[in-house]
Amino acid sequence: MERISQPQLAALVVMFQIGSSPLFLLGASAGADAWIAVLVAMLAGLLLLVLLTLQIRRLEPDKDLVEMFRTYFGRVIGYAFAIAYFVYFSYKSVRNIREFGDLMILYLLPSTPLFIVIGCVLIVAGFAVWQGIEAFTRMTQIIMPVVLIIYAAFFFMIYASGLFDIHRIQPIADKGLGKVAEAALPEIVSFPFGEMVLFLMLWKYVASKKKTFRTTIRCYVYTGLFLTATNIVIIASLGPISQISVVPFIQIMSQVEIASVIERLDPLAASLIFAGVFIKMTAYFFGAFLVGGHLVKTKKRYLVVGVGAVLFIGALTFRSYMQHIWFGFEQNLKYHFPMFQIYIPALLLLVMLFRSRLRADGNRQS
Amino acid sequence: MNAQQGAKLPISEHLPSNVKWLYDELGASSDIVVRTFSDANTGLDGVFFYIDSLVDQQTINQMLIGPVLAEIGENPNVKSSSEWMGLLKNKALSVGRLKDIHRLDEALAQLMEGNTIIMLQGSRTAMAASTAGGEKRSVEEPSSQTVIRGPKESFTENINTNMSLLRRRIKSPGLRVAYKQIGTQTKTHVAVVYLKDIAKDGVVREVMERLDRIDTDAILESGYIEEFIQDAAYTFFPTIQNTERPDAVAGGILEGQVAIIVDGTPFVLLAPVTFIRFLQSSEDYYQRYDIATFLRLIRYVAFFVSMLLPSLYIAITTFHQEMLPTPLLISLAAQREGVPFPAIIEALVMEVTFEVLREAGVRMPRVIGPAISIVGALVLGQAAVQAGLVSAAMVIVVSFTAIANFVIPAINMANAARLIRFIMMILGATLGLFGIMSGLMVLLIHMSSLRSFGVPYTAPFAPFIWSNWKDVLVRLPHWAMKKRPTAVSSMRNLTRQGSGQMPEKPKKSGHERDTTKQSDE
Repeated sequence: MERISQPQLAALVVMFQIGSSPLFLLGASAGADAWIAVLVAMLAGLLLLVLLTLQIRRLEPDKDLVEMFRTYFGRVIGYAFAIAYFVYFSYKSVRNIREFGDLMILYLLPSTPLFIVIGCVLIVAGFAVWQGIEAFTRMTQIIMPVVLIIYAAFFFMIYASGLFDIHRIQPIADKGLGKVAEAALPEIVSFPFGEMVLFLMLWKYVASKKKTFRTTIRCYVYTGLFLTATNIVIIASLGPISQISVVPFIQIMSQVEIASVIERLDPLAASLIFAGVFIKMTAYFFGAFLVGGHLVKTKKRYLVVGVGAVLFIGALTFRSYMQHIWFGFEQNLKYHFPMFQIYIPALLLLVMLFRSRLRADGNRQS
Repeated sequence: MNAQQGAKLPISEHLPSNVKWLYDELGASSDIVVRTFSDANTGLDGVFFYIDSLVDQQTINQMLIGPVLAEIGENPNVKSSSEWMGLLKNKALSVGRLKDIHRLDEALAQLMEGNTIIMLQGSRTAMAASTAGGEKRSVEEPSSQTVIRGPKESFTENINTNMSLLRRRIKSPGLRVAYKQIGTQTKTHVAVVYLKDIAKDGVVREVMERLDRIDTDAILESGYIEEFIQDAAYTFFPTIQNTERPDAVAGGILEGQVAIIVDGTPFVLLAPVTFIRFLQSSEDYYQRYDIATFLRLIRYVAFFVSMLLPSLYIAITTFHQEMLPTPLLISLAAQREGVPFPAIIEALVMEVTFEVLREAGVRMPRVIGPAISIVGALVLGQAAVQAGLVSAAMVIVVSFTAIANFVIPAINMANAARLIRFIMMILGATLGLFGIMSGLMVLLIHMSSLRSFGVPYTAPFAPFIWSNWKDVLVRLPHWAMKKRPTAVSSMRNLTRQGSGQMPEKPKKSGHERDTTKQSDE
């Protein structure tokens, strides 16, 4: 079986968490305190990760999610859950692809038909899945430092061009922390922090499993802090406009101008987004591919084409970008995603604990 | 009589039938020499059998025929052919390698190596004396991988010369050489050279196995071997390095690479290899580390320029004009005003023109050389711009790309960039920056999936090996690189130099330590 190393896992966690998140103003309903909401959500997500997701992994480090379902719920219910997760991973991937396609059309290719952009992206992502988890994580490992350095350069440029004004986030929490918590829970917990549930499909490939817990937690916390920082930069640079802007981060970059040499960086920022969204989308594609492999009981790589076709059709079914965003933030985050990120894993963990208790008792009696 | 029967045929006591068999097997070619000698008193009757075009005449005359003839008549008491055989071996034949052979097919193989067969009437044993020779080129300066500072020797076509160039550089007894013969017709000698405990055992075994698997009739250049044993069949990227510099091969062997020397070509293969090695030059290690680091960074930039510049130019001028500062945009637009083609056609025309020029420069007789530069520079550059066929900016882009391509030290990697450039241009022209980004992603995924004899191609970037970074983007001084890069070398013998060798200002200066006092004080 292919193996990924700890640094590769770290890179994957970081890039997966960053994904498309810096694009949006997370927790926009908290106004200038959105960054506190992100921080709160990050801590809540951390709790979820430590108490739920990583616990499941600790109990079954060599199985992926579908195998666990089959072991603990039997073949029929396990299969049903597997189908549910196939839909969930595919849907998440579709959302990322659609986001990606729309952004590319918005910023880079205004007159290209959507299906061409989405088709190209899917071919590239499918190629990554085809090459296997090793190649995919190695690629992530190469891209990660590049992305982080460019983000750092962007932050520096935003500061240097005088857009950053710390007064825009003051006074801190003037509407009370209640509003902040309202913004944080459950929306930001489920996007992006709760999404770590995908790693239940990937952790089994990690070599030297003992360090997995630490690596995951560390990278999760660093990325959470990074997202908080991005949030602060967005609010402090754009002020109230940030809440009505379609893609606030790119909007800031379009305003950066230094010595009339460095200017109009939005295509560059869009390329940066490319990397983040691409990796997240491919990770979900990978998840869907792995679950799909269990569903139709095949290990053939040709399945990539089938899953890719599903994603392609799925990505084109949203009517417009705004509908897609609205649906995502209003419906999915509140009602649908928590089911997959919290409730089902919680149920699984309960059954696992119960069964292991039973087994321990059984052992004692015999 | 064919070779199949010959394979079982022992040498008979009847000399003429042996000679006839060999003569017939070789089709009575005109370059076969059968020199007989005999001594009527003792009943000695023998032949020297060799192929004129493969042997060194001087060796045969002075070391074989001369001494043997001198013995004849000196030993009247010798009776049997076996006694004569021993006498010749111990007193007359003054060559280093002398081998007893018992079968005719063996004799034939030895003949084809350029050895001389000595057969005696009445003896079932024959001797093969190593007399291989023939004209060979002397060691010259490398023609394709030149350096300013560093050894000026290059490998030649002769495998023995090449081996000696290598042995003289690494005088360690750990230097292991394994010879193989590949090719049913050419029977080309191939030497696998590595340093014990520094090369990984698994890699050495893998190289040997892959070489043994080759089933072909001809190996005329190391490129044949490369295509048979490389890891990925469908890729632009070379997964085996080649060089004509003995110092580069020695350096590679000292970092755990396995060298494959092929008779008949000065280009030696080195494996396993990672991507970054193609952007390192042996001169990096001879020059001061600061300039070496600078040049290395320049090479990385040049690699990306030669791969991406035309496509970026096309993408930005076609799709993302807003990225350009306004004055530059106006100037570009003004230049392109009279150009009748879209940017991609313009770029393709110029690129193809350049590729034609480049190929012409390689193929053309050397005497006509200067003509091509006139045609290239004046006719295709200036005149094309003045005629309004291409814009001046495009000429600049294409020429800079071309020059950047020559900066990449390894020609096979430069060729990869050259081919990828065209794909990128088409992607840039159809999908703009998005297309180029997609192309780069595919390239990156592809590179991540490559391995060279088990070593990940993208090491030490991914898998990330921090200890190997001293010689990647920068080249640290030699005293700072204490360990060999672990991606390629074996873990058994990692230490390269002792610690604490960083030069410091001495406590006493040199003239103070000088003990010889001036006597007239």
